[in-house]
Amino acid sequence: MIDKSLRWVDDRLGVAKGGRTFLDKIFPDHWSFMLGEIALYSFVVLLATGVFLTLYYVPSAKEVIYHGSYLPLRGQRVSEAYASTIGLSFDVKSGLLMRQAHHWAADIFLGSIAVHMARVFFTGAFRKPRELNWVVGVSMLLLGILNGFLGYSLPDDLVSGTGIRIAYSILESIPIVGSYIAFFLFGGNYPGNGIIIPRFFIIHVLIIPAIIVGLLAAHLGLLVKQKHTQFPGKGRTEHNVVGSPMFPTFMAKTTGFMFMTTATIFLLAGFAQINPIWQFGPYQPYQISYAVQPDWYMGWLDGALRIMPSWEFVGWGHTWPLEVFLPAVLFPGIVFNLFFAWPFLEAKLTKDRAYHNLLDRPRDRPKRTAAGASVFMLLFMVFCASSTDVLANFFNVPLQSVLITFRIIVIVLPILTFFVTYQICKELQGYEAAGKRKHPVVVTLTPEGEYRTTEMAPHPGDGHEEIEPIPVPTFINLVPPELATGSGVRRVMR
Amino acid sequence: MRRLLRARLLVPAGVAAGVAAAGLLTFTPAAQAGTAPSGSSSSASSLHASTASASVAPTTSGAAGSASAKAAGINPVTLPSSYIAPGEALFAANCASCHGTDAVGTSRAPNLQGLGAGTIDFWVSTGRMPLADPTEQAVRKPPRFNALQTLEIAAYVQSFTPGVGVPIYHVNLSQANLAQGQSLFTLNCAACHTITGAGDALADGAFAPSLHVATPTQIIEAIRTGPGNMPHFSAGNITNAQARDIVAYVHEVIQHPTNRGGFGLGGNGPVAEGFVALLIGVGGLLLVAFWIGERA
Repeated sequence: MIDKSLRWVDDRLGVAKGGRTFLDKIFPDHWSFMLGEIALYSFVVLLATGVFLTLYYVPSAKEVIYHGSYLPLRGQRVSEAYASTIGLSFDVKSGLLMRQAHHWAADIFLGSIAVHMARVFFTGAFRKPRELNWVVGVSMLLLGILNGFLGYSLPDDLVSGTGIRIAYSILESIPIVGSYIAFFLFGGNYPGNGIIIPRFFIIHVLIIPAIIVGLLAAHLGLLVKQKHTQFPGKGRTEHNVVGSPMFPTFMAKTTGFMFMTTATIFLLAGFAQINPIWQFGPYQPYQISYAVQPDWYMGWLDGALRIMPSWEFVGWGHTWPLEVFLPAVLFPGIVFNLFFAWPFLEAKLTKDRAYHNLLDRPRDRPKRTAAGASVFMLLFMVFCASSTDVLANFFNVPLQSVLITFRIIVIVLPILTFFVTYQICKELQGYEAAGKRKHPVVVTLTPEGEYRTTEMAPHPGDGHEEIEPIPVPTFINLVPPELATGSGVRRVMR
Repeated sequence: MRRLLRARLLVPAGVAAGVAAAGLLTFTPAAQAGTAPSGSSSSASSLHASTASASVAPTTSGAAGSASAKAAGINPVTLPSSYIAPGEALFAANCASCHGTDAVGTSRAPNLQGLGAGTIDFWVSTGRMPLADPTEQAVRKPPRFNALQTLEIAAYVQSFTPGVGVPIYHVNLSQANLAQGQSLFTLNCAACHTITGAGDALADGAFAPSLHVATPTQIIEAIRTGPGNMPHFSAGNITNAQARDIVAYVHEVIQHPTNRGGFGLGGNGPVAEGFVALLIGVGGLLLVAFWIGERA
């Protein structure tokens, strides 16, 4: 029956060959190859919950009187966007769960991209021939951050409204073209006659998701086409891939992982409150709350803005607001250009233009590892700087001291990190058994009073082991003979 | 009868009997009424209790109270003159070393005359006074005096300038408009205390304290007197009715937020949320990957 219908499809579409390739794709089994999947599945959750939210959210800045069930807002003049988001949170069945799942999924989406990117970077998986896929990935990160900011702004509450105000000022700070860009996006001076909400909405739900879906398809397509990288090990060469096939082993694994990701997101959505906009109130341009932070993935920009000294000069008939332009435009610009250019930059510096399918151990590339750790430390410190006020309040120290401390450590710590990481890598290289458990040594006392030591075998799991062969289910009878090894672990030539 | 005996420890018998008979004062821990400064008073008086009910304090009529204030539910409290004598004793023992005899101030601490009983009540009932180090911003701590003692000190300081300054208010929130309070709070308070009232660090080592434990009486006293770095808002800025709405919003919404979405994460916003997302969300999923993937 299945056979017949598949044959019917294949007779008309000729998909068997491609499908075969896809089902036979080999995935390395190491856990660090599954990080990108967290991002993939949280993106699926984002799409699904996002569709639910659009059914109730009204992208309009038109003022209405709130009449919903949250008492402290009743009778207030709020925007339709805000009123409908409050309605989603209080009056739509499971609306708040969906809103919170969407928000947690966004935080996890970007978090897992960062972790995935770190894995790819530190193991050198971005090298030839995979530079393009790295560029695609960095583009998705950039778009993801941007879309996160836009989505965060849509409820039109006091906190996110402040964020839009900051974004406007950042646009304005770009020399010469800044005010034109800001006017173009907002349709005039801030807050721009209420057109910013519908504009952000359409960019958030249509334009950027469509681009991300396209890039995602390219990302995965390139992954299948170029095949996976793998860690070096017994039987693994530059010319093969060792791991489990897409079907059935990896399919089962990844489906389980999808459920775990979805479950984690919805557990958080059910138990941990995120962005309670009813406690913030509607946005009015003349009102502000102290201690406003953006979501974590924007934190590094906010932190850079906070610790920047107020450098500004007037010349050629213009005010040059460097205290905004440098940290909020130039700094992220440099960071992302560095991300985009890294594979090419590294190839140029190392003059290494060979194909690489085997991954590096981070310690074997001390300069790259040190550079990565240094940039990571810089970004992490700038990220921490976005909570200067929280830190000052928590540790009961003056805000200025925290600010000045951060100005110093964002410069000193990355430099220090570079040299320390470099040294650690070098030391690890010199020690062959680094990262492995020591063999147990048994000491025995002979009747003559002599002590003898006997070294035991390594712990199971310490050495490299091949995976036990798993019989392929009998209903898959389409396996071409040259691939049918009868084992769950397959090795294919590139 | 027991109440009467308790009161007698502190105030002249006749006065105590009169107050007790009127059923006006109910202070709980018996011994603390008598023991002076060292007793750490855990009890807030009914004036500082969570709900401002009508059975509160000394006479709520009054000298400073106008009709509009009463209509707004903010009623000035007139302290009985019998409080003045014990208040003087407490003041001499605990306050005069800095604020001087007759509360006229010294080089170390300001003149208190003319500030009104409300100012004294705020500083003493929040535990900010007595203060160990006058160069630092006073912090809220368990008050050294119990409710009655606080009122007595306030009555003593007020007695130098009767009718002048900010009185102690009794706030009746039954007529309050929460929506109005929300809007006014956002406009006037959130810029320092934050929109969730959690408080935060400000410039020059100053900070805006959390509003999560302030009583209605303390909130209105803070609004009207502007303690420390806080600006004071007179009836010209914020009418009595508006002040009542703000007090109601802080007391009923800020202090009891609707955490419909689960754990409130301390009202700290994206900082706490980011930690949860990265540590529990991404961190948990990394463990899952570690679990289902190969480790060698």
